[in-house]
Amino acid sequence: MTSDNDRRRGLFARLRGRPGAPSRGRRRLGAAVRLVAALMLAGGAYTVLAPGAAAQENPPLSSAAADGKALFDVSCVTCHGRNAQGVEGRGPSLVGVGAASVEFQVSTGRMPMARQEAQAARKPEVFTRDEIDQLAAYVQELGGGPVVPAGDNLHADGNVAIGGELYRINCSQCHAFSGGGGALSSGKYAPSLAPATDRQIYSAMLSGPQNMPVFGDNQITPEQKADIIAYIQQTLKDDGDPGGFFNLGRYGPSTEGVAIFFVGIVALVFASLWIAGKS
Amino acid sequence: MSSQTGQPALPGGEPLDVNDPRLSRFDIVREGARRDDIEIVHYEPQVAAGTKAERRMVRTVAAFFLLTGLASTAFLAVYIWWPWEYEPGRGGDKLYTPLLGVTLGIALLAVGFGILTWGKKLLPKEVSIQDRHEGAVPTEDQRITGETMAYMADELGVKRRPLLGVSLLAGLLPVGAVAAAPLVGGLISDPHKDNQMMTTGFAPRDGQKIRLVREDGRPIRPADISAGGQITVFPGVEHGVSNQYADSPTLLIHLRDADAEASRRNNEREGHGGYMWGNYAAYSKICTHAGCPASLYEQQTNRLLCPCHQSQFLITDNAKPIFGPASRRLPQLPIEVDAEGYFVATSDYTEPVGPDFWERP
Amino acid sequence: MKRRKFDVAAVPGNTARAVDDRFQVATPLRRLLNKVFPDHWSFLLGEIALFSFIVLLLTGVFLTFFFEPTMTEVIYNGSYAPLRGTPMSAAYASTLDISFDVRGGLIMRQMHHWAALLFMAAIVVHMLRVFFTGAFRKPRETNWIIGSLLFWVGFLAGFTGYSLPDDGLSGTGLRIASAIMLSIPVIGSWVTAAVFNGEFPGTIIISRFFIAHVLLIPGLLVALITVHLGLVFKQKHTQWPGPGRTNGNVVGERMFPRYAIKQGGFFMVVFGVIALMGGLFQINPVWLFGPYEAWVVSAASQPDWYVMFLDGSTRLMPDWEITIPIGEGYVIPPLFWPTVVLPGILVAISLLYPFMEARHLKDYRSHNLLQRPRDVPFRTGLGAMAITFYVILTLSGANDVIADKFHISLNAMTWAGRIGLLLLPPLAYYVTYRICLGLQQHDREVLAHGVETGIIRRLPDGRFVEVHQPLGSGDGHGELEYVGWVVPKKMNRLGALGPAIRGFFYPIERPAEAPVSPGHPPVEPRPEREEITSGETRP
Repeated sequence: MTSDNDRRRGLFARLRGRPGAPSRGRRRLGAAVRLVAALMLAGGAYTVLAPGAAAQENPPLSSAAADGKALFDVSCVTCHGRNAQGVEGRGPSLVGVGAASVEFQVSTGRMPMARQEAQAARKPEVFTRDEIDQLAAYVQELGGGPVVPAGDNLHADGNVAIGGELYRINCSQCHAFSGGGGALSSGKYAPSLAPATDRQIYSAMLSGPQNMPVFGDNQITPEQKADIIAYIQQTLKDDGDPGGFFNLGRYGPSTEGVAIFFVGIVALVFASLWIAGKS
Repeated sequence: MSSQTGQPALPGGEPLDVNDPRLSRFDIVREGARRDDIEIVHYEPQVAAGTKAERRMVRTVAAFFLLTGLASTAFLAVYIWWPWEYEPGRGGDKLYTPLLGVTLGIALLAVGFGILTWGKKLLPKEVSIQDRHEGAVPTEDQRITGETMAYMADELGVKRRPLLGVSLLAGLLPVGAVAAAPLVGGLISDPHKDNQMMTTGFAPRDGQKIRLVREDGRPIRPADISAGGQITVFPGVEHGVSNQYADSPTLLIHLRDADAEASRRNNEREGHGGYMWGNYAAYSKICTHAGCPASLYEQQTNRLLCPCHQSQFLITDNAKPIFGPASRRLPQLPIEVDAEGYFVATSDYTEPVGPDFWERP
Repeated sequence: MKRRKFDVAAVPGNTARAVDDRFQVATPLRRLLNKVFPDHWSFLLGEIALFSFIVLLLTGVFLTFFFEPTMTEVIYNGSYAPLRGTPMSAAYASTLDISFDVRGGLIMRQMHHWAALLFMAAIVVHMLRVFFTGAFRKPRETNWIIGSLLFWVGFLAGFTGYSLPDDGLSGTGLRIASAIMLSIPVIGSWVTAAVFNGEFPGTIIISRFFIAHVLLIPGLLVALITVHLGLVFKQKHTQWPGPGRTNGNVVGERMFPRYAIKQGGFFMVVFGVIALMGGLFQINPVWLFGPYEAWVVSAASQPDWYVMFLDGSTRLMPDWEITIPIGEGYVIPPLFWPTVVLPGILVAISLLYPFMEARHLKDYRSHNLLQRPRDVPFRTGLGAMAITFYVILTLSGANDVIADKFHISLNAMTWAGRIGLLLLPPLAYYVTYRICLGLQQHDREVLAHGVETGIIRRLPDGRFVEVHQPLGSGDGHGELEYVGWVVPKKMNRLGALGPAIRGFFYPIERPAEAPVSPGHPPVEPRPEREEITSGETRP
């Protein structure tokens, strides 16, 4: 569908760094290069992900990471184990999850978890921003992984129209058209996006927390992520509801049905009671 | 208007002479009502003319009407001068519709309550009794009408001349069919033309396997999807990413190692060995229950939830339904990677995609 | 010739005479003006539906001036920035234009939608009133059938209108509708192909729905509503039992002027409430849903409330697929039962109920007096059962929203709905039946013994009794017969009841029928209790 869209084609052409269709030979060559690159990437990811001997040798940590380790050993070690190797039945290994995951889980207050639940819920956060950075640095230095870019505003260059389309393909099935969230199987749920910051949305896409699928940079580019965040922050949250003071939670027909009975019918039944009542 | 509070009805059943100059207008009205079997048994003005109560009521009603004028003027002012064109962010335009609604609502409610107050408080109260005439169904009339109709049938003589009836029926039935034919014939369309219910955009064309592409038409490499990730893919044909191929949207999932292992094992059990490529599996996004895009993928539990009727499918076991109303697993698209490193569909779906129907094999 | 002074006061009379000389309307017009309508608040519920239908016509005509009912693909370039550059159907683009580029278009769209929801809600509430008071009995079965048809035709009107914008939510609904048609045994695929002109979604369905929504269905609705009102007029309205009210008369107000003025005022009130809702409550924000694309869906996808019971029944249905092993095998999908068979049964029951009840009770007389719900426990119980059934299905239609907002497991909601659907309706029947009997008994008790006064008196032997104010003759012995109308139960209700006809407790004419529970033995007053109750101070 979007192939009809010139502006967007321009964008994707830009992303791929070349206009139009290349010659057959060049395409073969490019494909070969990409295949090699992909294999190397996969191999690299494997070496990073595999809990090998490298992780246990404890390479020297940076000072931020050392501070993070101190925090970790106080607050997280019970479930995630020594050197974040994980504890069977309590908490997963954090080697290789990356700073993005730490950022999401800790800045939304999901970690540290109060108790084991089907799904960690958003809570007031326990750590300060600096402490979160230190924890993130520690986990990052343990085994690498995805990192959220710097800065609080990650949607400055975002295009809401592109973001909207990506949102509807990739996000709305769980978080709903309105961003209000929705139910998943057996008590799990996709949370509302209302309280989420740019960094939290970005880190969630990168790390795929809990049951959310991972949307890595290779699938949704950083530019596209900025578009999606722009759509969520500007259109879904800031834009308001042009249709009235009350948006009925934007739940769609279910709350509209409640409103027609509890506002419309109730008001009119009272009116008819008055009309037919004795003066 | 004369006040008649429960006065006994004028004597006698015979009609009054309405030309009698001594009769008031109310008397004539009452006589008219009586001719329609209505007895006005109670009639009483609610407020006496010229009293304080009447003046107060009149003022209330007038106030309502003036409020209508005021609110209507406000409506027009808002309609004309308030900024109404959409602007991003919380602009003043977001108040346009609410302001229109409030002013219009007040205007209409005020005129409504004005009229109601007028009718309810200023007009005389009455109780009238009207006869229904139901008990006295004129059976004589029933009989006369019945006989007339029977007589009409007799005149036509269909009973005596059965050929007339039969030929009329035989002749008119096709006429009815003629009326229906253009509609039915125009609407009818063979659902099995080009085997459209069994094929999707992934059917190989001219021996060429169809690529899996994203919503913007780019093909997909295995490295594009992280483990625990999923992506909606379309057939890489012209208009593949459009509602023309409403059955083709597919979910390409990169399973984690252990899950992929289980998935492969279950695939083989069902004779779907080789449908996956590496840790990647592709399942139709179109729910087999009612056709919604079943796409709420839970990457830890590997369940796929459909948001319309909550059918749940277990991706690691051939996407078989494990909860909810769906009775059939999601069809799996056999995939592989072509020489250039992009995903292609090895063949079309081997089961029909989308909701079930009677003649599904 | 001397020029006559123009007599203004005589103009109406002269005009009227001139008209009547030509058309002879005086007598029918007098009959029309002289029509008595009983007054009760519950008789105004149907009017809500009628008036919202008028609002629907007014706002709907406005919308057609701007709506483009085609599925031609266009690139949106209107003023709503978040969709600019998106390919979409012309129908969706013009809906966005109505919302953002037509001055005042958004409130018209929202008023149209709210009026539609109100229309259906008022139909249901009105129908419940008619059902619980027995107003559907002979001679009004035809009007009950027309009323039921109005619900189902309104249902179609709503669904076709809901689908017209071709947005992400309604397109999903349309796809489910196509799946429902597909599920019909034998002819399913042919029906679907005929409606969509091939495979879903095709390119013509919006145009077809448009003509159905703006011409065929409204035409049918207007016809049905006209007959409905004409029959009410011809058969005269039912009335509650009460003083002077019999099966053979109507007690109330003449239609003109007071009754008609009240109706006019009520129309304005209904219109005003719709305008307020259209302005204050955002409904169906299609700009958030995006254009319909077969691969896009949202969590919490629901149809409008009056379709939600079908969505609920579909969600609760177990995955029972029937395969018929003939030839290559044939399938009846589980979707068939809750979406085709269930509504079919509901239509049949709703159409036939008056006849089933009459047959069951062997009651073929004409009834113009209403029954209080408590006086017919079995019917009231059945109604409560039906409401429970419907409400459970409707709530199940939104069970994912409920699960999400109240932190309940989605799977648990489904199971609760399945079990509740089987258990709660019979329970509702039983409870309602008992409550009705209890209320009846209390009525009889008050009639026999009088109203509680709150005054406690000590008897010479030391007992305390509450003084009861007898309703009958002052000697305390007159037991009153129940006449099917409200029994005053508080002192301050005495004398404040019913219209101002004297002799409330002694009806001018006794009702032709004794309103006892059909199919149930008449309720006896509760046997006297010895404790602190009876106000009878027999010496």
